[in-house]
Amino acid sequence: MKEEFKIAWRNLWRNRRRTIITSASVFFAVFFAVIMRSYQLGSYDHMINNFIESFTGYLQVQNVKYQDNPLIDNSFDYSDSIASAISEINKVVSVSPHLESFTLASSGTQTKGAAVIAIDTEKEKNFSDPESKLVKYRITDEAIRRLKDAGAISDNVLEKVKKNLGRSYSSSARLELELGLTDEEKELCMPEILKCSEVSNGFLANDDEGILVSDRLASYLKVAIGDSVILMGQGYHGVSATGIFPVRGIIKMPSPEIDNKLIIMTIPAAQKFYDAEGKITSLVVNLTDKSDRTIKTAKARINSLLPDKNTIAKTWYELNPILYQQIQGDSQSGAAMLALLYFIIFFGIFGTVLMMVSERKREFGVLVAIGMQKKKLKRIITMEMLLLGAIGLVCGLLASVPLILYFYYYPIMLKGELANMMEDWGWDAVMPTAWFGPYFYWQAVIVVLMVVLATIYPLRKIGKLKEIEALKG
Amino acid sequence: MKVLELKNVNKIYNSTEVKVHAVNDVTMDFVEAEFAAIVGPSGSGKTTLLNLIGGLDMPTSGEIIIGGTNLSKLKPSQLIDFRLNNIGFVFQSYNLIPVLTAKENVEFIMTLQKWPEKERDERTFELLWAVGLGDRINSRPTKLSGGQQQRVAVARALASKPKFILADEPTANLDSKAATTLLEIMEKLNHESKITFIFSTHDPRVVKMAHRVITLEDGKVISDDIRELPA
Ligand SMILES: Nc1ncnc2c1ncn2[C@@H]1O[C@H](COP(=O)(O)OP(=O)(O)O)[C@@H](O)[C@H]1O
Ligand SMILES: [Mg+2]
Repeated sequence: MKEEFKIAWRNLWRNRRRTIITSASVFFAVFFAVIMRSYQLGSYDHMINNFIESFTGYLQVQNVKYQDNPLIDNSFDYSDSIASAISEINKVVSVSPHLESFTLASSGTQTKGAAVIAIDTEKEKNFSDPESKLVKYRITDEAIRRLKDAGAISDNVLEKVKKNLGRSYSSSARLELELGLTDEEKELCMPEILKCSEVSNGFLANDDEGILVSDRLASYLKVAIGDSVILMGQGYHGVSATGIFPVRGIIKMPSPEIDNKLIIMTIPAAQKFYDAEGKITSLVVNLTDKSDRTIKTAKARINSLLPDKNTIAKTWYELNPILYQQIQGDSQSGAAMLALLYFIIFFGIFGTVLMMVSERKREFGVLVAIGMQKKKLKRIITMEMLLLGAIGLVCGLLASVPLILYFYYYPIMLKGELANMMEDWGWDAVMPTAWFGPYFYWQAVIVVLMVVLATIYPLRKIGKLKEIEALKG
Repeated sequence: MKVLELKNVNKIYNSTEVKVHAVNDVTMDFVEAEFAAIVGPSGSGKTTLLNLIGGLDMPTSGEIIIGGTNLSKLKPSQLIDFRLNNIGFVFQSYNLIPVLTAKENVEFIMTLQKWPEKERDERTFELLWAVGLGDRINSRPTKLSGGQQQRVAVARALASKPKFILADEPTANLDSKAATTLLEIMEKLNHESKITFIFSTHDPRVVKMAHRVITLEDGKVISDDIRELPA
């Protein structure tokens, strides 16, 4: 074995240049594949983490018909006991009941369609946490006037503030970010700006009969805290639902689309409004991790807790089939590209093998003639080929490790349109790599498979070798 | 003691348009310690005959018996082991494994035979000194001259302690000085080891050194002269 390895290793370096070129091609393929895959998987992770954790949750309990037909009629009976039973399940982070529907919202002469989400204020804290989205600062004419009166603010800064007239913010950090002040300006002016633009706001009590209105909807309806909004919609089993609701607070949603139409109320108020006592439309469940296993186990456990066959748990990918298909499609096209790359590399390896076999035909003949079993010769050649693949493979994997580590901890910051969009949604505009996973080890499997496939040819040649013909050269 | 017997050996090539009777009804024996040359013009069947004797090719008819074993009775893998343990080979050129040194090339065949390391080492040194390459043991074949390479090949052929050594025109690619040196070394080793050497040649100076000269013509043995009986 030692002898065979020695011969294989030395054979590898007989044509130094060819071995280096072949190894280099394997190296680049592996390196490129690992880095590309890591980025691809990393960005899906990032996207799923952000999107799923703040919108659909990893799992939702729904009436089977609700996804296709999101009506109050397709709701289900809910009690606190089911929520607490689910939250006992391993790896469950939060369980938040929702009662969602569309209504018309009007005030004075203004009317607009609104998405009404009824929540449990306590349980929602661990999921979308609407309290954190309450408007805290607003740049109004009044605020600008007060800023001017206070003096102390340079014209330059005042201009920047004016540019944001009419906007509202749920945190000082967000306000600071959008004003785009220099560090010096920030230090000088931020306290004054915050003081002048601060607004008072309120939230919902546990059994509140009032509502929270999203900022843009509130300005469309021309309502403020203390005003009332009339809601008109369809209640349970076709009854018409009409009610008048006092505005308790204004919330700022990062997405303009949602900010245009969201109304939040408590579940008891909504059940009364829709005449849907004890009903909710969905129960949003978040988990500690999103591995397929965790999701599937949790889903099965939840389903076993639900007595009614028409009420079931659905996974985030069942709930967002389009997003899921997009990710799958993107992932597959990435994989197809790598397949093409490896296909090309395979022919490089195969070319090396062909040349090697034709160069050494005579040598194989001598070895078998003087008494080396073909089995042994095949082992040497296989070893040589595996070494050839292993050099590029190991170097490629090793070279990718520091890059993956670095960009995992210090991800690339995105710029431009995409970055703004992500920030609008309240996400980090970054592109991290994925931590080492099966994608990393798979490269080894692929390279070994390619080598084994390429080695079939010389092994067959040796198998069929006739000593006198090989000796003729 | 007989090391090799040929009984009515024929080799007929049918593959080409004309049928070629390359070896025609050859019957002869070789005993221990012979130093025999097979001579004859090009195309007379020397290579074909040596390939048959060496078990590299199978006769169309007839029997080849080495130390009591009929070669045609062996399975392909048994035949390889049989060659390893009973026959030494020296080819015209490119005999050696290019990635191994002179020492490793000689050792190699004993590794295949699973000799213990110490004995293998001792025998390698002994043989390389005997062929006059004691100072080149760590050279790769590309660093050796053609004559030196053939001497390493002779050392390797002897290393496995075969019943006989076959050499098909071992001097064909050598100048006359290197050819004479190689033959002198072969003769000396034949004398010391009592191992039979059978070599083909059409070099008259080489023929002169043989103890037995077998002449082929159109595949037939036309003369078999024993000039000197083995010691
Ligand atoms: N594989 C083969 N197929 C057909 N004819 C062959 C083959 N090998 C050798 N011959 C023929 O057999 C005869 C003997 O050839 P060979 O043994 O090589 O002679 P030598 O070694 O004495 O020159 C020649 O006529 C040659 O053409
Ligand atoms: Mg010949």
